[in-house]
Amino acid sequence: MRRPRLLELTLKNLFRKPATIEYPRKKTPVESDYRGLQYADLTKCTGCSICALECPANAIAMTPIPQGYEAPKTNPRRLYPLINYGKCVFCYRCVTVCPFNAYITTPKYDLANAEKTINSSPLSLSTLRKG
Amino acid sequence: MAVTKIVEVPISAEVPIGPQHPALHEPLLLRVYADGEEVVRVEINTGYNHRGIEKLCEKNTFYKDIFIVGRVCGICNAVHANCYVRAVEQILGIEPNNRAKYLRVLSMELERIHSHMLINAVMAENIGFENLFMQIMLDREMVMKAKEILTGSRVMADFMMVGGVRRDIDDVKRARLKDILLKLRPKVEYYKKVFEEDETIFKRLAGVGVVKRRDALAHGLLGPVARASGIRIDSRASDKYDAYGDIPFKVITRDEGDTWARMMVRWDETLESIEMSIYILDKLPSDGNPVPDERKLPRRFPPGEAFTRVEAPRGELTYYVMSDGKSLNPYRVKIRTPSFNNIINSTFMYLKHTIADVPVILTSLDPCISCMERATVIDLEKGVKYTVPFKVLAGGKP
Amino acid sequence: MALSSFLNLLRRVRLVESVNDVIKIVERYAVEKGSIKPDRMLFVVKPESVRKLFEELVDKVGYERFYLSTVVGSDMKEENRFRLDYYVVILPEERTIVIRTYIPRDQPVIDSIVDVVPAALSAENETYDLLGIVFKGNPALRRGFFVSSDVVDKGVYPLRKDAAGV
Ligand code: SF4
Ligand code: SF4
Repeated sequence: MRRPRLLELTLKNLFRKPATIEYPRKKTPVESDYRGLQYADLTKCTGCSICALECPANAIAMTPIPQGYEAPKTNPRRLYPLINYGKCVFCYRCVTVCPFNAYITTPKYDLANAEKTINSSPLSLSTLRKG
Repeated sequence: MAVTKIVEVPISAEVPIGPQHPALHEPLLLRVYADGEEVVRVEINTGYNHRGIEKLCEKNTFYKDIFIVGRVCGICNAVHANCYVRAVEQILGIEPNNRAKYLRVLSMELERIHSHMLINAVMAENIGFENLFMQIMLDREMVMKAKEILTGSRVMADFMMVGGVRRDIDDVKRARLKDILLKLRPKVEYYKKVFEEDETIFKRLAGVGVVKRRDALAHGLLGPVARASGIRIDSRASDKYDAYGDIPFKVITRDEGDTWARMMVRWDETLESIEMSIYILDKLPSDGNPVPDERKLPRRFPPGEAFTRVEAPRGELTYYVMSDGKSLNPYRVKIRTPSFNNIINSTFMYLKHTIADVPVILTSLDPCISCMERATVIDLEKGVKYTVPFKVLAGGKP
Repeated sequence: MALSSFLNLLRRVRLVESVNDVIKIVERYAVEKGSIKPDRMLFVVKPESVRKLFEELVDKVGYERFYLSTVVGSDMKEENRFRLDYYVVILPEERTIVIRTYIPRDQPVIDSIVDVVPAALSAENETYDLLGIVFKGNPALRRGFFVSSDVVDKGVYPLRKDAAGV
């Protein structure tokens, strides 16, 4: 019975690059369709609240669009889904149930930022014109 | 010798854990009573992290539950979701198309590959072979990548939906997945050889924790544990759910019944799963879109009950789902995970072994505490309790 | 060669008989029959006969021909009773059959089968802890096996439909 050459593998590893990724200095490579941060495109959203009802983690709160933003006519109640990314489990149920395909998906996965609250309001509101 | 006085020396250790290491370092208390080195009695103490998933399922809608049950266990989330989704499909009378069935099986087999690799790696670590642990975990990353390509996330697949799956794959992805699997196969063959031929591993595992066929059945042990004791049970082969009826595979059994046999069954199953996955990628049928439109799925559920079984990496997983036809929520969801039987019913296995064998035997059962208790992984509480006769402490012979 | 194939055939015949054997035994206790999707035979029996049934199964067909997969307890509040389903998998075909029984809600006691079928241990403990069904004769029965101590202190059984605060 010949022994498997574990020692050889060990020695080889000594000269290999480390396998670990030094996050956050280096980003973990992810697929372009990785389920990352998603937000509603407010030019398409009608404020119907279906995504908020269907979210299994209860992460979506329907919130009024702040003053100073031009809400589309299709959204008479001026509501938009505000996703709390701390609660969100990234199942994308909201994306698939929205009747108006309003969600924009991204492969962004890092949640940590300098702001205190991590939610979708900056991303969502950036889809609207100010005025 | 009658023991009249005992001194209890409680030793406990707390080790913080990372999310990549949930197999053994989970909250479970094994109270081991030993006479000298020999284990005479084992009590299992659970209940550190009960989350009440079954109650939660009763309070949420059928569709939300798909995502809740996926979170019972991180390692085998696709099988949990699959089992639940098939139970709901039985109640609704929906059948997914063949492409969806093949993709479901693919995601579940990828899960089996990485789950078996994980527990074999943990076993290597537990017997002091950390080098091997790192190697296996490194190659396991390839499977995680494959899962990411297929489902969109490394761990949480969220891949199952009533009537199909939630994403399709194109030819580019198909080629990449196959490439990964072909690269993985020689590595797994190599590790299997290491476990087979390395003397240290063999001596540590062989003959430890032997389970006889009859005992395994009487105590309801499942999965690789039962198959290593010569019991040919595999719900993939008997229930032929999803596409398992079309895909050729062998049910691996061994007769030794010891810890080593359990690990070898897992390696052989890993190889078998790689073959199956490659078969699926080659023969993927294209009979329509496997992704149902989630906006058009039925809202109302007829009364009915369904009991589905699925072969999770750790053994037979069963779901019982009941709808009373009146509300949007299930009336009852009962989850029975394989670890639930394998861990709680297996205290007899430790008897007559030494304390040092206890962790090895526990690892060979592939304990998934989060499965068993439907719990979150927070910390480790594993105490070992020795009961030593006073005479021994005083320097006498037992 | 011929002999071994003949022996094989003989074994097959015996295996087929084993499934029928089990079903025949269970059938004798059944007061009602039905099925659960997909294709699981369902036998409703009286609560007193559950233990006798399993004793006879172990006696006549032995441990090697079946295993107890799980016990599902449900609170049928509107009918004022608990429902207990014993899921038995018959080997080697792995046919799953269901043995169902009902016990009154105000007196939820049934004989334990843990000394007959040791596999019932985990299931009985869980059903007691979450639903409050007492399995008479199970020495390992205790509260707090799964649920946390604050739920135990409140004395509620979380899976009952009228459980408050869980
Ligand atoms: S991805 Fe899932 S958890 Fe997150 S907001 Fe959407 S529905 Fe809710
Ligand atoms: S379901 Fe779509 S349209 Fe309705 S609130 Fe959500 S994002 Fe807006």
